[in-house]
Amino acid sequence: MDTLLSYEDKKRAVLIIIALFVVVWVALDAMAGGSVYWQRVLIRLPLLLTGEGSGWPITGGFVLNILLSLASMLLATLLGTFMGLATLAKSPLVRIPAFLIMNFLRNSPWLVLLFAMLYILPFQVRVFGFVIPFPPFVKAVIGLALPTAANFSEVIRGAVQSIHSGQWEAARSLGYTTSQIYRHVILPQALRRMIPGWMNLYALLMIATALATVTGIQDVLTILNTSLAMESERVIVYFYLTILFLFFAYCYPIALLARRLERAVKGDNL
Amino acid sequence: MFGLDYSWLADSAYQQWLLMGVLNTLKLAAISSIAAMLIGMLGALGLTLRLFWLDALIELFVEVFRNTPPLLQMLFAYFTLSTLGLKVTDPSTGLSVPLLSAFACASIALSLFGGALAIEAFRSGIDTMPRSIIEAARSLGYGRWARFWRIEAPIAARICLPSLTNILTNLFKTTSQASVITVPELMYYAGQIYNDTFRTLEVMLLVLVIYVALVSILTFAMARLEAFMAFPGYGKGH
Repeated sequence: MDTLLSYEDKKRAVLIIIALFVVVWVALDAMAGGSVYWQRVLIRLPLLLTGEGSGWPITGGFVLNILLSLASMLLATLLGTFMGLATLAKSPLVRIPAFLIMNFLRNSPWLVLLFAMLYILPFQVRVFGFVIPFPPFVKAVIGLALPTAANFSEVIRGAVQSIHSGQWEAARSLGYTTSQIYRHVILPQALRRMIPGWMNLYALLMIATALATVTGIQDVLTILNTSLAMESERVIVYFYLTILFLFFAYCYPIALLARRLERAVKGDNL
Repeated sequence: MFGLDYSWLADSAYQQWLLMGVLNTLKLAAISSIAAMLIGMLGALGLTLRLFWLDALIELFVEVFRNTPPLLQMLFAYFTLSTLGLKVTDPSTGLSVPLLSAFACASIALSLFGGALAIEAFRSGIDTMPRSIIEAARSLGYGRWARFWRIEAPIAARICLPSLTNILTNLFKTTSQASVITVPELMYYAGQIYNDTFRTLEVMLLVLVIYVALVSILTFAMARLEAFMAFPGYGKGH
């Protein structure tokens, strides 16, 4: 029996046993009087997930964290692409400022940047007579997108630079212009190598959305804090475990998939 | 300039606060970095033993700490460690007080978070070690211990250094989140100052610049270390 299982199988078996052990521990704890606490968590769960006691409509909670991460990622991908290509530009007038901005954003703590954005961005901007309001959610999106964009531009740089220089030389000798080389030769190959980094970055961003609580939006932590004010000391542990599990359940599969893709990409040597 | 008012900076009380904040940030970063490195080394060494149960436990630890927000980890440590029984009775007052201060809780949470990242970095460093080098060392008659100290560790250290820089800067930046659990570091004092002066934008910009400067010094030092340690074929010497 023992020899039939490979090393990886045995490892997986241990992890499953640990998971079962946790389930048993939770059940035992529930029987020993913990069920009262779990019930409190269960009652609050729709509120923690959607920001609404009944579960609908969605006004906040963990779903808001997900929406925030998606909106930030979209913005970060756009900004990061520009920034990444700018740091690869030939002209030092473009490259050096882009490089400085990228490094500034990469070296600043997410929380501090988020706080700074909260105060730098106005409540609304007037563009050609249109008033664009900046609610806390939009500020959080921008605040989280900036460091993510800087990290993404680094991913782009790494992917583009990992393409063998022979590709450049070959394309140039065929008479392609720089923008043509990027469009037809480099980016199609680099895109494949960017995907794992992009996904890892998304998982990181999702984790960082927990910080958005400082902007005052009704995200899962804000709701957690307001609901904990009404709970006893002992229940707090159960609430925190639930929220930690929510983040883990969302981010771990993404990280796992990213790693699998990374391994697949590592195979192609160009 | 730009309508920013930095006159409050002339007040020596605020200067004192900023200085204390920076010192506490450095202290927290130093403690958690060293602990994280130790956890990382122990974990990576544990993985080389190839024991499936230890491997599973380490993987679980790494994944849990990598895939949950460090802010939540700190809050969890802060609010639950004391309610879960880590309390001492103060002999002078007879009151039950938490054994661990906010600073201790933040250090523990950050060490574990950084440790999880470090295990992963060291593991990949050991994994990418060329087999031929180990075989060459073995054929030259190196024993297991000598091989590890004289061949494997020096090469692995150079392979790991870039990702180690990332982890250390990441950890340094994450220390700012300790302000949420009232650890008196730079972010915390920033809050104190703008509560006093109402100069939120000015204070946050200054603090942002201080953080960026400190992290930049760290990355610069690590880059220098990398260049200093480089030998042909590995890392920067490539």
